[in-house]
Amino acid sequence: MVLTLYGYPLATCTQRVATVLHEKQVPFKFVNVNLATGEHKAPAYLEKQPFGQVPYIDDDGFVLYESRAISRYIAEKYDSQGALLIPKDAKDKALFEQAASIETANFDGFASKAVSEKIFKPAFTGAKPDEAFFETQITELGKKLDVYEKILSKQKYLAGNEVTLADLFHLPYASMLPQTGSKVIEERPNVARWVDDLKSRTSWQAVQQGITSTA
Amino acid sequence: MKVVYDVTTKRELRQTHRVATILHKKEVPFKFVTVDLATGQHKAPVYLEKQPFGRIPYIDDHGFILYESRAISLYIAEKYGEQGALLIPKDANDKALFEQAASIETANFDGFAGNAVTEKIFKPAFTGAKPDEVFFETQITELRKRLDVYKKILSKQKYLAGNEVNLADLFYLPYASLLPQMGSQVIEERPNVARWVDNLKSRPSWQAVKQGITSTA
Repeated sequence: MVLTLYGYPLATCTQRVATVLHEKQVPFKFVNVNLATGEHKAPAYLEKQPFGQVPYIDDDGFVLYESRAISRYIAEKYDSQGALLIPKDAKDKALFEQAASIETANFDGFASKAVSEKIFKPAFTGAKPDEAFFETQITELGKKLDVYEKILSKQKYLAGNEVTLADLFHLPYASMLPQTGSKVIEERPNVARWVDDLKSRTSWQAVQQGITSTA
Repeated sequence: MKVVYDVTTKRELRQTHRVATILHKKEVPFKFVTVDLATGQHKAPVYLEKQPFGRIPYIDDHGFILYESRAISLYIAEKYGEQGALLIPKDANDKALFEQAASIETANFDGFAGNAVTEKIFKPAFTGAKPDEVFFETQITELRKRLDVYKKILSKQKYLAGNEVNLADLFYLPYASLLPQMGSQVIEERPNVARWVDNLKSRPSWQAVKQGITSTA
């Protein structure tokens, strides 16, 4: 039975998983979850994903949620095809884990709140963004990206000179930041170079066209 | 084998305890070096060479430098896989459920619990400022909603990824242990969650570090 991805094409976490499925050339079926009607909060959905969020996968009966966990599962299961996204050497792997932790600790919180405030909140609720709140998130993000700027001045990617899952995890929100009007990435040449490199990958280009079944 | 371990001192911060617990669990001898937060040692250029975000802890394992407490814990758990408890499952599906549990921790617990603990305990301790009670309550409210889901998960199984303890459970210990100190009953109000936290807190590895961290080598 082909792996099935349940999610929403414009949702960042769904895009995170779809990117990795494309990277690893894994055929998948895509099932749209109707967020507008609250399908993700219905009892049948909560049986699979108890936090009521997208996405989740069903791999021949094995159900998994949390986009980064799904991404890791795919990267490990299909380690021999596509790019090697999780290093095998013990120290390289530790540096990958360090980079993955950096993403959740220093990037995701601020970037996701900024993007939600400026883009998702008006789109989903019609409410105006709280500009002061948006600016505080961008300011904090900027301080962290100053450190990324130093790290990326010495190496091509966040864990070293090979791309890993940790880099790809940044893509969905990093690609939306310019839409908010923020230049927080462009202002930092090494960070901009790194984001442009990731955005040019065929896997991301495929997801930008929209997420559809490949099997 | 010695693990030289540079870490924080005095008001020993929770990320450090996360790593120390794993070192004890895997029976890895280590040297503990304090970093003086009060004098800003962690923001000095020589420290930033090791940990560019100016945070604690980091480790130095025979010249290999690593930071981010969960990354360090994973490195130790994998390097010493054969000794102490098995903290990362080997089976592919069990491992995926472990990754799911670890991701749940950073997405649904750490942010709110960390903010609550920082506001109520660390902010007064470090700056003398009074806690913003309104902000504290918003964090606790969010945490409560997430813990209601944990309650369901832990009604069906002993630990967060299944019936065996793993690293993902242990990552909770530092902040989960501080919540009662802040007067919050969010854990006690949920019997399955309380059972799980009590189980984790009873382990010798946590007992060894909760009063303070010292070198074991």
